[in-house]
Amino acid sequence: MTARILYNLLQVLVVMAFAPLMAGINARLKEIVQSKRGPSIFQPYRDLWKLFHKDEVVSKRASWIFRVTPYIAFVAPLFVAMLIPVLTSYPLFFAFMGDMLGGGFILALAGFFACLAAVDAGNPYGPMGASRTRMVSFLVEPVFMIVFFTVSFVAGSTIPYIVQQRWVASPADFFAPSHVLIVLAFLMIIIAETGRIPVDNPAGHFELAMIDESKGLEYSGTGAALMKWGGEMKAFVLMCIFLNVLVTPWGLAATTSVDAVLLAIPLVLLKMLGLIVVLVIVESSLAKLRLFRISEFLGAAFVTAVVAMIARLFAL
Amino acid sequence: MTHGVIGSVNALIGGLFLLTSFAMVATRQVRGCLGQFVYQSILLAASALLIGGSTASWHLVAVGLITLITKPILIPWLLRRTVPERIFTRREVALTVNATTSLLIALGLAVLSYFIARSLLFAAAADFAAVNLPIGIAGLLLGGYTLTVRREAVPQLIAILTMENSAFFAGIAIAPDLSIIAELAVAFDALVLAFVIGLLTRLIHERAGHTEVARLAELREEAKR
Amino acid sequence: MILIAIFVLPIAAAAVAMIEHRVAPAVTVAAALAAFGLAVHVGLTVAAGGSIAGIPGWIAADGLSALLLLLISFVGVTGAVFSVGYMARSGSDRRLRGYYASYNLFLASILAVPLLAELSMVWIAVELTTLFSVFLVGYTGDHAALEAAWKYAVLTLMGAAIALLGFLILFWGLRAAGGTAFTWDGVRNAAPGMTPALLGTAFLLILVGFGTKVGLVPLHTWLPDAHSQAPTPVCLLLSGVETSAVLYVILRLIPLAAGVGSGVWAQVFGLISVGAAAFLLLQVRDYKRLFAFSTVEHMGIILTAAGFGSGGAAYGATYQLLAHAVTKSFAFLAAGLVLLAMGTREIDQVRGLIRRSPLAGAAVLVGGLAIAGAPPFVVFLSEFSILRAGIGAGYYLAVGLLGLFVVIAFFGIMWHVARMAFGRPPEGMEPVRLPVSARIAVAIAGIPVVALGMYLPGPLHALLRLAAEALSR
Repeated sequence: MTARILYNLLQVLVVMAFAPLMAGINARLKEIVQSKRGPSIFQPYRDLWKLFHKDEVVSKRASWIFRVTPYIAFVAPLFVAMLIPVLTSYPLFFAFMGDMLGGGFILALAGFFACLAAVDAGNPYGPMGASRTRMVSFLVEPVFMIVFFTVSFVAGSTIPYIVQQRWVASPADFFAPSHVLIVLAFLMIIIAETGRIPVDNPAGHFELAMIDESKGLEYSGTGAALMKWGGEMKAFVLMCIFLNVLVTPWGLAATTSVDAVLLAIPLVLLKMLGLIVVLVIVESSLAKLRLFRISEFLGAAFVTAVVAMIARLFAL
Repeated sequence: MTHGVIGSVNALIGGLFLLTSFAMVATRQVRGCLGQFVYQSILLAASALLIGGSTASWHLVAVGLITLITKPILIPWLLRRTVPERIFTRREVALTVNATTSLLIALGLAVLSYFIARSLLFAAAADFAAVNLPIGIAGLLLGGYTLTVRREAVPQLIAILTMENSAFFAGIAIAPDLSIIAELAVAFDALVLAFVIGLLTRLIHERAGHTEVARLAELREEAKR
Repeated sequence: MILIAIFVLPIAAAAVAMIEHRVAPAVTVAAALAAFGLAVHVGLTVAAGGSIAGIPGWIAADGLSALLLLLISFVGVTGAVFSVGYMARSGSDRRLRGYYASYNLFLASILAVPLLAELSMVWIAVELTTLFSVFLVGYTGDHAALEAAWKYAVLTLMGAAIALLGFLILFWGLRAAGGTAFTWDGVRNAAPGMTPALLGTAFLLILVGFGTKVGLVPLHTWLPDAHSQAPTPVCLLLSGVETSAVLYVILRLIPLAAGVGSGVWAQVFGLISVGAAAFLLLQVRDYKRLFAFSTVEHMGIILTAAGFGSGGAAYGATYQLLAHAVTKSFAFLAAGLVLLAMGTREIDQVRGLIRRSPLAGAAVLVGGLAIAGAPPFVVFLSEFSILRAGIGAGYYLAVGLLGLFVVIAFFGIMWHVARMAFGRPPEGMEPVRLPVSARIAVAIAGIPVVALGMYLPGPLHALLRLAAEALSR
C-alpha cells in the first residue's frame, strides 16, 4: 500500500525530472539532422535555472488569471502523470482517480487557462495565438475521443492501466490494422498538441505565425520557467501515454520490488528516445502547413482514427 | 479469420490500402496521386503474394508478380512518357469539394462498403475475404468519388486505375482461381488504358493548353453564346 | 475456326493498314465483307439448327451471338464503304492510316463480344471496345471532339471497373454454388443454386457498370457528345452496334438473375432511359445528337422488353436489336450525307435539304421516319411486338409509359427532321456532289431498312426465335 503511494510519487518526480532532458534531446537531434552541432542536451535545465533566478515583470492590466496560470500549467501534467502508467504495469494508488478522459480534460484545463492568460495580458499577439491554439485543440478533440473510445471499447475500461494490459495483448496484435491506424492517429495528435512541425514551428520567433508558443510570450522569471517546464512535461506525458498504453506496453515493472521499478526508469527513457527519433524524422522531412490546411491534417487524423475503429469493430 | 500471422499481416496490408485510397481523395498534387497509386499497387501485389503463398496457389503468386511488374513500374513510366512533364509539376488549384469535406464523405463511403461487405459475407464465405472484400468495395467507391470531384485529367485517370486495383483487391480473395489468361489480359488492359488516356491527355494539353478537363464543357443543349 | 476468323480478319486488316497505307481503305472494306460473309454463314447454320464449332469454354456462338455477329459485321461493311469517300478528304495519309487501323481494331473488338463464352474475356473485350474507339471519337481533334473523347473514356472506364467487381462477385457466387466453368452456360446452370445476395449484387453492379456504356440514364451524359463528335462511319459502329453489343451482355444476365428481381430492375432502368431520352431529344440543336438520344431511347426499349421476360417480349427484344442496328446505321449515314451537303451540324442552319441535295434530304427523311418508328419500317413492327407482348404479360403501366414515351420521341424526331428536309434552302449555295462510296453505302444500308419492314426472310425469323430463347426464362 505504502509502496504504491511511493511509486506514484516517484512517477511524478520522474516526469518532473526528465521532461526537460527529453526536450533537450529533441532539440539537439533536430540540429544534428540539419548538420549542425546543436545545444547541449542539458540546456533546458540551465534555462529553467536561469529563469527561476530572474525577476518577474507583470503587466498592470493583468488579473489574477495571469498570475495563476503558470502554476496551473505546471501542475496539470503532474496530475495526469499520477493517472497514467509511467513506470509500472499495475495500477498505483491514484490510478482510479481519473481515466484517460479525465486526463484529457485536465490537460485541456491547463490549455484553457493559458489561452485566457494570453488574452488577459493585453498583448495583441496573445489573442491571435490563443484563437489559433483553440482551433487546433478543438479539431484534435474528436480524434482524441475516437482513439480513446476505440481502445476503451477493446479493453472494456477507460482506466489507462487496464487498457495497457489489454490493447496489445500479443505480438500479433501489434500488426493489426486497427493498432497501426490508432498509432498513426495518435502520433498526429501528439504533433498537433505539442506544437511541432507540420502544425507549428516550435523554434520560430515570428509572433504572427505562432500557435502554441504564443502562450508563453508575456511571461518572465518564475512564470516563464513554470510555463516552459509545464509545456515540456505535457509533451512527456503525452508521449508516455502513447508509448506505454498504445504502442509498446512492455518494459514496465510488473512486480512491486524496488529494483523492477528503478529498472523501468531507463527503459521508459529508452522508449521515449525512440519516439523522439521518429518525431525528429517527421519534423525534419515535412514543411509547416498553412493555417487552414491544419484542418485537413487533423481531418486526415480523424479519418484514420475512425477507420481504425471500424476495423476493430468488424474484427479485422 | 483464424489465419494467424499471415492473416494479421494481410489485415495490415488491407488497412494501408484503405489509407492510400483516402490519401488519394485529399491529395492536391498530381505527383502525390501517382505516388499513392504506386503504393497501392505494391500493397495489392503484396496481398496477392501473401494469400497465394498461404493457400499454395501459384495462380495468385503469378498475379502478384504480374501486378508488381506492370502497375508500380510500367504504368508510371508510360505516364511519364505520354503525358507532358509540366503537368506533373503543377498543383491542382482547387478541388470541387474541399479536402476536409471530401475526407468525411469518403469516410461515410467506407462505412457503407463495410456494411455491404458484411451482408455479402453472411451469404457466402471465402478465405481472407473478411479483410479484402470490404476494402475492395471501399476502394471502388472512393475511386468513383475521386473521379467525380477531380478537375484535372491525370488524377481522374489514376482514379480509374485505382478502381480497378480495388476490384482486384477484392477479387484475389473472392475469386482466386480466375483463369490466368484473364489475369494477364486484365494487366495488359491496364497498360493499354494508361497509354491511351495518357496520349489523350497530351492531345488535350496541346489543343487546350491545360489539362483541367472540368473546364471543357462546351457540349450541352442550352443556347451557345 | 470460322468464329475465330471472324474477328481475326479485321485485326489482320489493321496490321496491313498500318504497314501499307495506300491500300488501307480497300483492305478494310475487304476484311469487313469477308467477316460479313462468314457471319452470314454462321447465321444460316445456326438458324437451320446446326451448331458451329468453336473452342469449348472460350469461343462459341448460339442464336443470340449469331444474330449480333450478323448485325455488327453488316454495319461494319457499310461503315467501311462510307469511310472510303468520307474520310478521303479529311486527313493526311498518315492520319488516315491510324484511322483505318483503329476502325479495324474497334470492329474486331465489338465482334469479339458475342463470340466469347468465358465471362472474364467478355469484360476484357468490352474494355477494348472503349480503348480502341477513344481516338476515333476524338479524331477531328478540335475542342469539342476531345472533350467528347475524354468524357467517353472516363465514364465508360469507370463503369467497366464497377462491372469488373460485379463479374468477380458472380465468379464467387458460381464457385460457392459448386460451378466450375466461368462461361455463360456454366453460370446459367449454377444460377438457381447461387446465393441470392451474391447474384443480385453481381447483377446490379454489372447493370450499372455496363449500363454506363450502353447509355442508360443517368449515366448517359457522355453518349450524345461522343456519338455526335465522332466521324460518321465511327458513329455507325458506336450507335448502331457497340451499345447493342454491351447491352447483349446485360440481356444474357437478365434471365439468369430472374430469381432476384432482375426483370423489375431492367424495366425500371429501361423506362427511365426511354422517358429521359424522349424528353431530352426535344431540345437538341445538333441532328447527330438527336440520333444519339434516339439510341438511348432504343436501348431503353430493348432493356424494358427483356425485363418483361415472356417469350413474346424476348422475341420483340431481339427483333428490336435487329431493327435498331440497321435503322440507326442508316440514320447516321443520312446524317453524314447532310454534313457533307451542308457543312454544319446545327439543325437551325439546315433547311430545304430536299432541294439542295435530294439524296441527303430523302435519306434523312427516311432515316428519321424509320428510327422514330413509323410504319412501314421495321422499327415500327418490333416496337409493336414489344408493346403487344407487354400487354400479354400483364405489365399495363409499363406498356402505357413505353407507348407514351415512344410517341413523344416520334414527334420530337419528326419535327426536327422535317424542319431540316423542307423549307427554303439558304441562299447562294450550289447543289453538292456527294462521293460515290457514300451513295453506295447509303444504298446498301437502305435495303434492309425498307425491305425488312415488309418481309422477314425465313432464316432470319428462325434466328430471331433462337436468340429469343436465350433471353427468356
